[in-house]
Amino acid sequence: MQDIELQQIWKLYDEKLQEQLIFNRKNAAEITKLKVKSELASLRPIKIFTVMAGILWVFFLDLLLINIFPGGSMFLLISIGFIALVNNIAVGIYIYQLVLISVINISSPVVKTQKYLASLVNSTLWVTKILMLQLPFWTTFFLSSSWLGTGNPIFWVIQGVITLSFAGLAIWLFINIRYENRDKRWFKFLFGNYEWTPIMKAKEMLVQIEEYEQE
Amino acid sequence: MSRENETFLSSIESNKGIIYKVANSYCKDADDREDLIQEIILQLWKAFPAFKPEFKLSTWMYRIALNVAISAYRKASKRRQIHQPLSDTTLYLVEDKSESNEKRDVLQSLIKELKEVDRALILLYLDGYLYPEIGQVLGLSESNVATKLSRIKQQLKKKFTAK
Repeated sequence: MQDIELQQIWKLYDEKLQEQLIFNRKNAAEITKLKVKSELASLRPIKIFTVMAGILWVFFLDLLLINIFPGGSMFLLISIGFIALVNNIAVGIYIYQLVLISVINISSPVVKTQKYLASLVNSTLWVTKILMLQLPFWTTFFLSSSWLGTGNPIFWVIQGVITLSFAGLAIWLFINIRYENRDKRWFKFLFGNYEWTPIMKAKEMLVQIEEYEQE
Repeated sequence: MSRENETFLSSIESNKGIIYKVANSYCKDADDREDLIQEIILQLWKAFPAFKPEFKLSTWMYRIALNVAISAYRKASKRRQIHQPLSDTTLYLVEDKSESNEKRDVLQSLIKELKEVDRALILLYLDGYLYPEIGQVLGLSESNVATKLSRIKQQLKKKFTAK
């Protein structure tokens, strides 16, 4: 088969379109009148609700931290401090992503635009990884420094095992939440929902673009 | 209707084939295709004030249509972006039942099997765009276009012959 044959088949298709394709001008005119409620709606990788809930959550954590700071226990301060820090970073990245998405120029060259979009969506993977790091701190916030010398040794052993397990799990998740593990059962169980589909597609797109950039 | 509106609609009408071909190549069914067509027209309309006449209209339209079609999360936003999705079809074919073109159908189905960027490349090539123009739309060098295109054509021809 020759190249020209492919083009001829396509040319016939194109001619057919020219003859038989009907443009509903009235419908198209309606589209130009539609009010798009939000400029971000089409490209937003996460729902606005998630961001709003995130803002409220970090606001609560920051407020809590400010209130307990003068006399709070060391464990509480360190735990809430780290949890607040991680959540603030995550919400900050989400908002930054939304702002960047809103200024994307859709008429830029395809590979450039798609790389930009896919990189943005892919960064959501990083937010998730970072959020996992707070896990062990949820097992320490209620501890008191005064228990250190007086507490039951068995309690401290159990506490140590739990905290270390959570720390290990957090580090393991931080390392292993990546595209290469997308087909693993645990990954699908944790992230096999609707919100993750675009993230996986974005990563696929980045792989495609990397192939293009290699040559 | 404003003059800008009229100019825009005429531009769409004269290049309706581009929108249809892109939408058809990136969608599985008619509903999905209609959603995409509406979304492409909306994005074109939003970008239209920034269009510079020194550029080729068809090249500009191809860029936007392909960007909208390829965007990874397009399906997630389906029908949500356009607030009140229109019930009528914006672009449609008057089907000629007597006409059946097996080769064309095979070619279209093979194009749909390609990766998204490869699909964009072959669409532009089949539509007769030159390597520098394809490079402009996609943001690739001419040599990269030539290399990739040669590989995709080989792939297509091999599959075509096998069918």
